[in-house]
Amino acid sequence: MPTLDLEKIKKEIIDSQLWRSVFRGGVWKDTPRDRAGHIIGNVWLHLHPVKLRPRALKWTYTWGMGGISFALYLLLTLTGVALMFYYRPTIGLAYRDIKDLEFAVTLGMFLRNAHRWAAQAMIIAVIAHMVRVFLTGAYKKPREFNWGIGVLLLTLTLFLSFTGYLLPWDQLAIWAVTVGTNMAGATPVLGNEGPLGALVGMRINNDVRFTLLGGTMVGENTLLRFYVMHCVAVPLLVGILLILHFWRIRKDSFSAAPYTATEEKVDVWPHLVKREYIAAAGTTLFIMIWSILQNAPLEAIANPNVTTNPSKAPWYFVGLQELLVYFDPWIAGVVMPGLIIVGLVAIPYIDTNPKGVGYYAWKERPFANTLFMLGVVMWFVLIYIGNSLRGPNYAWYWPWESWYMLKAAPAPTWSVFGPKGAGSYSMLIGIPLMGAVSAAWMLLPKLIQKELDGKKTMGAFLGLVAVFAAAGLAMGKMGAAEGGFLLFFLGASFYFGFVLPQRHIRALDWPRYLVTMILVISTMSVLLKMCARLAFNIKYVLTIPSISMNF
Amino acid sequence: MSESNSNPSSVSGPAAAPKPLVKPADLSRGDFLWAGWGMLAAFFAASAAAGARFMFPNVIYEPSQKFNAGPAVGYDLGVSTKWLNEQRVWIVRTPSGFYAMWARCTHLGCTPNWWGDQNRFQCPCHGSNYTLDGDVIAGPAPMPLWRTKVDLAPTGDLIVDKAVLENKPGKRENAPYFVSYV
Amino acid sequence: MSYRKAFIVSNALMLAAFVWAFAKDFYAPWRPYQAKYYQMAADVMEKQAAVEKDPTKASNLMAEARKMRHSPMEIKQIIAVDLGRFDRCVTCHVGMDEYTNTTLKNDFTENPYKAHPKVDTALIKAHPFSKFGCTSCHSGQGLATQVEPAHGWVKHWEKPMLKGVTIQGSCVKCHDNFETLKGAEVAAAGKKLFNRHGCQGCHAINGRGGVTSVDLGDIADKPFERISGYNFMRVRIDGKELANEHHDSHWNIQNWILAHLVNDPVEVTPNDPFAHLNSEPISPSGMPDFTKEISRAEADAIVAYLSGMTKEEVIPYRYHVAAAPVKEPALSAVAHGKFVYAKYGCQGCHGLDAKQGRRRFNGSSNAQKPYDEKMSETERYEQMNIGAEPTLPDLMGTYTHEELVKKIEAGVPASDATRWSLKGPMPMVYMPAWRGKISKQELDDLATWLLSIAKKDDSGF
Repeated sequence: MPTLDLEKIKKEIIDSQLWRSVFRGGVWKDTPRDRAGHIIGNVWLHLHPVKLRPRALKWTYTWGMGGISFALYLLLTLTGVALMFYYRPTIGLAYRDIKDLEFAVTLGMFLRNAHRWAAQAMIIAVIAHMVRVFLTGAYKKPREFNWGIGVLLLTLTLFLSFTGYLLPWDQLAIWAVTVGTNMAGATPVLGNEGPLGALVGMRINNDVRFTLLGGTMVGENTLLRFYVMHCVAVPLLVGILLILHFWRIRKDSFSAAPYTATEEKVDVWPHLVKREYIAAAGTTLFIMIWSILQNAPLEAIANPNVTTNPSKAPWYFVGLQELLVYFDPWIAGVVMPGLIIVGLVAIPYIDTNPKGVGYYAWKERPFANTLFMLGVVMWFVLIYIGNSLRGPNYAWYWPWESWYMLKAAPAPTWSVFGPKGAGSYSMLIGIPLMGAVSAAWMLLPKLIQKELDGKKTMGAFLGLVAVFAAAGLAMGKMGAAEGGFLLFFLGASFYFGFVLPQRHIRALDWPRYLVTMILVISTMSVLLKMCARLAFNIKYVLTIPSISMNF
Repeated sequence: MSESNSNPSSVSGPAAAPKPLVKPADLSRGDFLWAGWGMLAAFFAASAAAGARFMFPNVIYEPSQKFNAGPAVGYDLGVSTKWLNEQRVWIVRTPSGFYAMWARCTHLGCTPNWWGDQNRFQCPCHGSNYTLDGDVIAGPAPMPLWRTKVDLAPTGDLIVDKAVLENKPGKRENAPYFVSYV
Repeated sequence: MSYRKAFIVSNALMLAAFVWAFAKDFYAPWRPYQAKYYQMAADVMEKQAAVEKDPTKASNLMAEARKMRHSPMEIKQIIAVDLGRFDRCVTCHVGMDEYTNTTLKNDFTENPYKAHPKVDTALIKAHPFSKFGCTSCHSGQGLATQVEPAHGWVKHWEKPMLKGVTIQGSCVKCHDNFETLKGAEVAAAGKKLFNRHGCQGCHAINGRGGVTSVDLGDIADKPFERISGYNFMRVRIDGKELANEHHDSHWNIQNWILAHLVNDPVEVTPNDPFAHLNSEPISPSGMPDFTKEISRAEADAIVAYLSGMTKEEVIPYRYHVAAAPVKEPALSAVAHGKFVYAKYGCQGCHGLDAKQGRRRFNGSSNAQKPYDEKMSETERYEQMNIGAEPTLPDLMGTYTHEELVKKIEAGVPASDATRWSLKGPMPMVYMPAWRGKISKQELDDLATWLLSIAKKDDSGF
């Protein structure tokens, strides 16, 4: 009886003309040449180098987040294409098609869940990837450009989510997009409600918002536009940028640390490829199990006349929504996101600190790390507030308070400087005063050449605030809670906005110093404005309504 | 264009006579390239502009902004939410007449709710509060609610036109944003 | 763990997760119901075949039974094109699917297996399932194929299945003649009660009636978001406090209406009369308390009637049935005045036959103590709560006929109404202007009747 010779069969298959025509290379012998051939001979793996330095393999160094983000992008593409077979982007059909996916399509619910959860996971993964790259200084020369592409990819990831959540045509969709596109309408010059917009002839039917919506309100055209952007235009752009991103990673030799002579490179096949595989498989598994256990939300069908109460964006935009409470739409919705994006892109060009490249170095880059992490933490704190502490009528509800007890209507707000009737000069005082304060804040840290003692300066400043608060308390102008707010927010702004810059960046050259300070002061102004609104009901510190300039 | 033209020094065939190495005109190759790049740039710029224009629809299928809100006699003092669902407008009757407000929060376009018992409009999206006049008393809204044009037709019906809006105190209390009616 | 092991484990887990997902999708909740129906129906046929004398018939029945037993598992749906209904209810309720159960009858008593009751009646014959679907009458979520979503007992589905007699509200959607219709008796009774107790005096229906409160012409479409605030937790129905969660199956417009009829409305929306929360006091619901007049069954009838008040559904005109014109009785001036009083819902505030004014929160009444700063809050609340609308016979003596007509035409704005506490909540219930709504003749007769019932004191005044 002939025995089954598996080895022989395998050899025959691999030596067949068919196999040879499809796969390059011969029988696998696991020689260095074979390993290199695996990478070079495969169009997909070819984006990798053949060898790389061992540090780029460490999970503790990379967190695997770049790879996981890409794995999620692939998952989203696959599930998204599948969903497209059952989805029609028209008002009459979109919601029903989603219901069909939930109730009548084989694995439809599972695919929709996977698409939804993978999108949210991808946002977390991309942010984590950015944090890791920042903390290891991996954006520094010569990787400035690739960091910029990364920031663009983060923005596009968020934009993909934004365009995606109109598509189910439910209440969440229509109101999130109404709010989002009205922010576009508040763009300076280009939007009909933005500063200077009316002056250059922007109306509701010719501004940038009109282009986004394809009409004056969220309707049929909007759904189609968002569909095309979500399924074709933006993924294509992301794909192009991804290729660029990967290619630069490879050209910039993967890991950022300076090369040491004792370091010996290892083969990408199998060392990196197996790690990538495990990351991708783990991610897929995670998304699958999540999608089995938890269904994606679907609210009632979109109704342009009824806004849900409270009406909230998905969690990753709730931080922005919370900012919208404190600032004018064009500041919170256009200037701040713009400043965040531009500021992130600019970081490699203003951070001249040569230390901390390729390893975690909190002590060597205290200023950069502290400010960056402060920004990230603030973003998530805002998300927490918007998501968990805002109830009906978007009023403030503590976690232990029931939403079923309606809150008091908020107290009337007021503006410090601004027109308060005829013959008021407060605007004329406000503009130079605000200018002077900003300029002084901007320049002082650099002009004081001697390093100040951090503890003493902080002590003196907090003492001053405490005296001020005590005076307010004594005069009955504020309560203890307001005093506490003042102490906390002013103290934090002073520490992060003055003490730290004074200690660490006064040696920077003027252009870099000024750009850094603009970013720092903008961040701090968010804190200060929150304090002003929450504790003192101040709507604007300075308002010039005739040109929609409100601060 | 064949290869022989692009490279005058080469020989196109065995029978070809040697060509003189002089260019037909005094225009240098660089000048031609400049013109080529220029035209390509113009083509791209024109395409981009046309592409941008393409994104502005010339016709949109949206309902008319004008509607008949029924007989004025049918309204009582205060805020009527009768047309909120269909037209997104509140009709407000004061002792001296009517005005209509567009039920769109001036912050980011959500629909506020009328809380008659509190005498306020409250927006569920970012918590803006408005008075009966439409003035902001709390929350982030940057300006008062928009009032729409209202007319009293000879039949006694109110005609509301949402395409004509005003919210500046002083202007909004007069025609065409207000009709006297006792 | 080595990567080799991780490779094997992760792939095994992915395969397992996939099998899990597919199994969860494949064993959808409708599947066991449909399978059981096929078996039960086949069993019945086999039993019939066993007692069948005629061998041809018996073998036919056996073949039928075999076919039934091996019917394919599928999502069944009724597509009612005109009404835009896609109802998959018959996926589980197979007995009501005319393609599986051609007679539409069976002996099963249990849902979801049993057939639709009363299929032989003219009512069902006039509404074939293939033309009307299920949800046109029953409401619920026709697209869903799971138990709770399909019946609409979930968050974000605003039209759950109608229960009991409320289903008669669906007749009202098309049948303007529902008052004379067999099968819509409860809804018809609801309309009668609605008018008898004067609801239309404050709540117009499609513009007919008073404007003191909301027009109920589209009350069935009222979005949950607009169900005033978050007050469902105060609602008691049949002695049971309803949960306030949206997805609770109690949370629907029927219960919202019912809550106003079987509770004192002041407790349904209590608000804040003493301004604990706000700078201004907020008035509770001004609606009078009808609990003593309207029984639970009567309240259900009113709910059934109002359940049909929808504008959202687009129903082709040919589905509508017009009502016969209503003839008003010919009466003497005084009797006609009484008729007009009831027709326009004056009794909603001033009481049946104008005998006793109803409660008006913070209004004045003879039973109240004079306002006193020192009163406790509970006491003050009680005093506000016994405020009442005017009892007409007590007042009529002070009016002439012309004055009375003028008064009814002009109404009384809330700001002019007498209040027990000037610092108390506003706005109160007020009298709308009836100018243009009541014809001159009706108004004259109404005034005549009101003057005829005016109380006269000893002097005959």
